[in-house]
Amino acid sequence: MIYYATSILLILIGMYAVLVKKNLIKIVIGLSIVDNGIHLLLIAIGYVKDGTAPIFSKPGLQASQMVDPVPQALVLTAIVIGLAVTAVALSLIIRLYDHHKTLNINKIRKLKW
Amino acid sequence: MSPVHFIAIPLFAAFLIPLAGKVSKELVKIIPGLVLLYLSFVSVTLFPIGTHHPVVEIIAGFKPPFGITLYYGAIAAFLTTLITLIGFVIWLYSYKFIIREPIEKYYMLFMMLITGSTGIVLTGDIFNLFVFFEITSIAAYSLTAFLRDRDGAEAAFKYLLIGSFASTFFLLAIAIIYANVHTLNLADIAVKIQDVPVTTRLFVLILFLIGLGIESEMFPLNGWAPDAYSQAPSPVGAVFGGIVVKAAVYSLMRIIFLMFNSHDVLHFLLVMGIITMLIAEMSAMKQQQIKRMLAFSSIGQMGLVIIAFGIGTEPSVRAAMFQMFNHALIKSLLFFSAGYLVFHSGSKKISALDGLGHDKPITSFFFAFGALAIIGLPPFSGFWSKLYILLSIADAGLMVPVVLILISSIIEAVYYLRVVSRLYFYKEEATDVRRTPVSGLIAMGILTVVILLVGFYPNLILNWMTPAAADLLNKASYIKFGLF
Repeated sequence: MIYYATSILLILIGMYAVLVKKNLIKIVIGLSIVDNGIHLLLIAIGYVKDGTAPIFSKPGLQASQMVDPVPQALVLTAIVIGLAVTAVALSLIIRLYDHHKTLNINKIRKLKW
Repeated sequence: MSPVHFIAIPLFAAFLIPLAGKVSKELVKIIPGLVLLYLSFVSVTLFPIGTHHPVVEIIAGFKPPFGITLYYGAIAAFLTTLITLIGFVIWLYSYKFIIREPIEKYYMLFMMLITGSTGIVLTGDIFNLFVFFEITSIAAYSLTAFLRDRDGAEAAFKYLLIGSFASTFFLLAIAIIYANVHTLNLADIAVKIQDVPVTTRLFVLILFLIGLGIESEMFPLNGWAPDAYSQAPSPVGAVFGGIVVKAAVYSLMRIIFLMFNSHDVLHFLLVMGIITMLIAEMSAMKQQQIKRMLAFSSIGQMGLVIIAFGIGTEPSVRAAMFQMFNHALIKSLLFFSAGYLVFHSGSKKISALDGLGHDKPITSFFFAFGALAIIGLPPFSGFWSKLYILLSIADAGLMVPVVLILISSIIEAVYYLRVVSRLYFYKEEATDVRRTPVSGLIAMGILTVVILLVGFYPNLILNWMTPAAADLLNKASYIKFGLF
C-alpha cells in the first residue's frame, strides 16, 4: 500500500512542479518526477510480498510466489523513453536560453498559446 | 513479405542515414526515397491480402496474448498505404526544399516519424502503441525545432511540454489497465475489460482521451498545433497534418471502439468534435500568418473527422476514413504550395502574398486548387467526403451537427478565398527571380492529379473504405483474429 501512496504522491509533486514552476529546468525536473512516480506505480502493481525472481530455479516454486516480470520490462522501456524526452527538452532549453538569456517561462512566451 | 517491413525498414534506414552522410550527401537524400518507394510497393501488394483477411504477425515467437503482435487488417492496410504514399510525395518535395544543414538529421527524423506512425497503425499491443507514440513525438519535437530559430525552439518546447505530459497520462492509463486485467494485448484487453468496474473504466477513458487527444488535435488539447505547424519547415507541416494526426486519430478510435464502445462515449466525441471544429475554424479566420491558418484549418478538419467517428454508424465511419484520406492529400498540397509561396514572398504573413498569382502562376495555382478542394467544392475529392459525412449524420437523425458543419464550411470558404483573392486580384509588387524547383512541382502535381481523379471517381477509394470501416466497428472479428 505504501508503494501506491508514494507513487501517487510523486506524481502529484511532479504535476505541481510542471504546472506551477516558472523555471524551465524545474518544469523538466517535474516531468521526470511524474515519470518516476508512474514507474514506481507499475513496479508496485507487479510486486508480490516476499516474492522471488520469475525463474523456476528451485523445485516446488509456484508461479504465485514470483513477482510479475512484465511491469519491470515496461518500466525499463519507459525509463529509456523518459531519458530521451528529458534530453530533447534540455537541449531545447539550451537553445531557448541562447536566444532569450533567461529561463523564466513568462519572459519567453512570444507565440500565442 | 510481411507487415514487419513497415516498421523495420524505415527504422533501419533512420540509423543508416548518418553513416551514409559520411560517404555522400546525395546518398542521404536518396535513401529515404528508395525506402518509401519500396514501402509503397509493399503496401500496395499487401493491401488486397490485408483487406480480405487480417494478417496477424507474431513477433519473437510468443503467442498472443503474451507476445507483441502486429495486426494488419483492412484499416491498417489503408492507413499504411496512405502513410507510405504521402511520405513518398513529401520526400519528393523535401528533396529540393530542405537545403539547410543538417540534412541527414532531417531525413533521419523523417524516417523515425514514418516508423512511429506505421507502428501506431499496425501494433496490436497497448504498450507497444505507447512506445511508437513516443518515437513519433520525439521525432516531431525535434523536427519542429529544425530551423534553429527562436520561435522554433519555443514552439518545440511547448509541444514537448504538452506532449510529454500527455504521454504520462497514457502510461498511467496503461498501468491501471494492466493492474486490472493483467494483459497488454489489445484484443485480450477488449475481452477482459468488460469485467472491470465502471468507475475505473471511466477514469482510464479520461486518461486515454487526454493522452491521445493531444496528438489527435482535439479541443482543448491542441494549443501546440498552430505553433508547431507554423515554425516547422513546410514539408514537416505536411507530415504532421498528413501522417501523424491520422495515426493518432486512428489509435484513439481503435481504443474507444474496442474498450469503451457505448453511446455516451460516442456522444461525448461528437460534442468534442463539434467544439474542436468551430473554435478552430473561427481561429483560422483571424490568423495573419498563412501556415498558422493552415494549422487551424487542419484542426478543424480533424474535428470534422471526430464528429463523423462520433456518429458511430457504418456509413459515417466510412465517410470519416474517406475524409482522412482527402485531408491528408489536400492539406499536404496546401502546405507544399504555401511553403514555396512563403519562400518567394519572404514573409509568413498573408498580406505579403499580394499579386503572387501573376509572378508565380504554377505554385499559386496549386494553392488555389487545394483551397477549393478543402472547402469541398465539386469536382474535387473533398466534396465527396464532406457530402458523405453530412449524409451519414442526417441519416442518424441529427440535424444540429449538419447545420454547424455547413456553417463552418462557409467560414472555411471565407478565409481560404481571402488568401486566393490576394494571390490573384491584388497588384503585383516585386518579382522574385528564384523559381520553384521541379521536384516540388512534381510532388504537387501528383497530389493534384489524385485529388481530381478521386473527385471524378470517388468509388475508387470508397470501395476500399467499406472493409476498413467494418474492421474498425467489428470488435468480435478483431478479438477473434487478434487472439487466434
